[in-house]
Amino acid sequence: METIPKTEAQPTTPPPERLAYSVQEAADMLGVNYFSVYRLIQRGKLKPCRALRGKLLVPRTELLKLLATE
Amino acid sequence: MSNPFEHCRPTELEDKVHAEAARHFAEHLKQFPASREVVERLERDADKIALAANRAAAKPTPKENVIQADDGKQWHKNVDLMENIHFCHRPISYGAEYAVVEHFPARGTNEILNRGWNATEVLKAFTHGLRQTLQVWTEDVSAQVLEFLSEKFPGHDLSRVADAFIHKCTTQAVSQKHSLTQGHAQNHSRGMRI
Repeated sequence: METIPKTEAQPTTPPPERLAYSVQEAADMLGVNYFSVYRLIQRGKLKPCRALRGKLLVPRTELLKLLATE
Repeated sequence: MSNPFEHCRPTELEDKVHAEAARHFAEHLKQFPASREVVERLERDADKIALAANRAAAKPTPKENVIQADDGKQWHKNVDLMENIHFCHRPISYGAEYAVVEHFPARGTNEILNRGWNATEVLKAFTHGLRQTLQVWTEDVSAQVLEFLSEKFPGHDLSRVADAFIHKCTTQAVSQKHSLTQGHAQNHSRGMRI
C-alpha cells in the first residue's frame, strides 16, 4: 500500500496587524455606535488620518491611546 | 444636497449600483437618521430644556442628583440629553452656572463638554458640536461611497448615484424601512425614490 508522506505542519505566521481602521471598524472594536466615534473625532479625542478620496481612518495607535485613558 | 434622480430617472446601471451601495452601507443608513433625529430633537427642545434647567437651578436639588465633574466641582443633574450626557447646573454666588456633562461609566468620570452662565447658550454650543459631528459623518460617508463605487464599477461616472445615496442617508426618516430590496423593487416601477 502506498503511504502518503506526512507533511510537516508549517508554522503559520499571524497576519500583520493593521495600522488603521475605518470608522465602522473602530466603532465595532470599541463597542459603540458610529455617532460616538464621529463625536470622539469631532472633539479631537481620536485623531484620524485621511485615505485617498478623504475617507477617515482611525490609526490603531489612537484607539490604544484612547483605551489607555479610559 | 438634493436628490439628482428627483426629475430624471436613473439608468439601469445606476439603479443596480445604488442598490448595491445601499446594501453595503446599510448600517450608516440605519444609524445616521437616528442620530440626526436626536440632534434635531435637542435643537427643537433647547428653549424648553433651558427653562427647565433655570427653574431647577432656583430650587434645592436632591443629593442623589449631584455628581462630581472633572473640574472638581459638584454639579446637579437636570435633564438627560443623550445616553450618559446630562445637562447640569451648579449654584454660584450670583445665580447658576450650567454645563453639559458626559459620564464615562468605565472610568466613573464626568467630563464637562460645554459650560457657561446662560443655559440656552450652553445648549446651543452643545448642539452646534453635534451638528459638526453629523457634517464629519456625512463627508466621511461621501468619501466611502465614492471609493466603493470607483472600486466596484471602475470607468463609470456614478457621481449621481453617490449624490443620491448621500441625499438618502441625510434626509431619510428613522421610521422609514430601509429594506433595500423592497426599495429597489419599487424603484423599478416608479422611478428611483432615493
